[in-house]
Amino acid sequence: MTGPCLTLKRTPPQTIDASALTPDILAGKSREDILRIELLSGNRRLRVADLFDVSGDDAHSSLTIRASMDRLACVGARMQSGAITVEGDCGPYVGLGMRGGKIVVQGAAAAFVGCGMRGGTIEVRGNAGDFVGGALPGDKQGMRGGSIVIGGNAGDRVGDHMRRGMILIAGDAGAHCGSRMLAGTIIVSGRVGHSPGFGLKRGTLLLAHPPAQVPATFQDAGEHELLFLTLLSKHFEREGGAFKAFVPLSNRVRRYCGDLATGGKGEMLLGLSTNT
Amino acid sequence: MILNGVAIDATFAEAFGMRATRILVTALNLKWAYEAARTMTGFATSVIGCGCEAGIERELTPDETPDGRPGLAVLLFAVSSKELAKQVERRVGQCVLTSPTSAAFSGIDGEPVALGRNLRFFGDGYQMSKVIGGRRYWRVPVMDGEFLCEETTGMVRAVGGGNFLVLATGPAEALAACEAAIDAMSKVRGAIMPFPGGIVRSGSKVGSKYKALGASTNDAYCPTLRGAVDTALSPDVGAVLEIVIDGLTETDVRNAMRAGVKAVCDVGAAGGVRRVSAGNYGGKLGPFHFHLREILA
Repeated sequence: MTGPCLTLKRTPPQTIDASALTPDILAGKSREDILRIELLSGNRRLRVADLFDVSGDDAHSSLTIRASMDRLACVGARMQSGAITVEGDCGPYVGLGMRGGKIVVQGAAAAFVGCGMRGGTIEVRGNAGDFVGGALPGDKQGMRGGSIVIGGNAGDRVGDHMRRGMILIAGDAGAHCGSRMLAGTIIVSGRVGHSPGFGLKRGTLLLAHPPAQVPATFQDAGEHELLFLTLLSKHFEREGGAFKAFVPLSNRVRRYCGDLATGGKGEMLLGLSTNT
Repeated sequence: MILNGVAIDATFAEAFGMRATRILVTALNLKWAYEAARTMTGFATSVIGCGCEAGIERELTPDETPDGRPGLAVLLFAVSSKELAKQVERRVGQCVLTSPTSAAFSGIDGEPVALGRNLRFFGDGYQMSKVIGGRRYWRVPVMDGEFLCEETTGMVRAVGGGNFLVLATGPAEALAACEAAIDAMSKVRGAIMPFPGGIVRSGSKVGSKYKALGASTNDAYCPTLRGAVDTALSPDVGAVLEIVIDGLTETDVRNAMRAGVKAVCDVGAAGGVRRVSAGNYGGKLGPFHFHLREILA
């Protein structure tokens, strides 16, 4: 029982809004019903039948999208439960406003992965664009819960305005990582671009490698063993899968308080195990 | 019923419904986990005067604790959810938060009771919240680093007041038998014996000649009053000690009582033990009745 499988037949003429293809929406729908679902493409409406071959069974707690490409936007947007597996790349807004369930993108994803999400897990095995877990332009809060795991690199402004939840990046992250963060946890195993934690109010930015320059508005608090990192490490072990890439997580770190320009209640932690 | 020369009275212990929680206290090493846990469970022998009854349930290996450090499981019992919440906050705040390298976590699922939810304000705005695996933890900056505390612990309905009395030829014999009982009972999970060393010498009866007191000495079991009161002691009994048990479930109390009475009987008549009895109020006050002979059957 693998659920319905949608295979992209051709390159869509424009970006497709795939937010109507979530396990919650497909629940109880027959193959014919799914083929009739309308998807927005620019100013036109296309039916699923125009774009996808639909196969698989009727167990709709999971969904597979095959031969995916970056013209599929909003994959898993606002989904509540179930699982989506994307074989290929994804366009922007994967898991936009997602509340539960799991999305696995086996390729790369464009900008705004998990933008405004409140729960669930998004795993992108390739690279991700800018604003991972960020806020929509104009929104005051970004990601508000759940976890995002990026297997490759991420673009600029990871976790912009992030309010809660966890973003784990196995590769590098771009500039302004954790910018304007309100709370939550971002871990970057690779390197980060310039100005990490820019405007960070609260929350934790854990970097395995020190940035080229620690921003002047972050002040050194010394080396510490922080117990919550042990809890995080054990959590990653329990979760397994993509989270395993972040184990073991040393609980000995160098702590920088910041961003002092915006209150200084947050922190940038530099891992010492890979720092020497 | 006579076991190893010890007469088992045809009576029962009467126990009451309570509210309970389990808190896991960890520290850099077991010594400091014990310091925190013993302090937290100090002055917690009876709900009558202490607000709650508390004790250390067992030691935890680093594999069993959330933070991978040595720790102890502590059980707290109170007569109401409100009182339990008050006691948890006071005791963790005054005894665990203050203890070097300590951390506190919930050890049981149930109705949430504040653990670190209010203690976090000690951080004066520098406290940080972390939600890990769906559970919220508070990191409160303190002078040796951070006090890590889970937001809430779970409260469950529990059973308090299980008991049995050990009647022996003298105080030393009664104490030795009770110590053997406590050794056996401390291996039972889900139960604590809240009195000093698990043993009570001042068993009480309901009421007093003094109006201000709701309870007073159990004169029928006081050996020095034999002859002056309607005594429950035969001439060969020189001392009586009691063991009181609080458990998370009726089964936990029963298991602890069974382990304890059996240990007392193993000491036997040769060790000076004469009888095992139990305290009750005629069965009208408490919903849980633990009949000694049924438990041992």
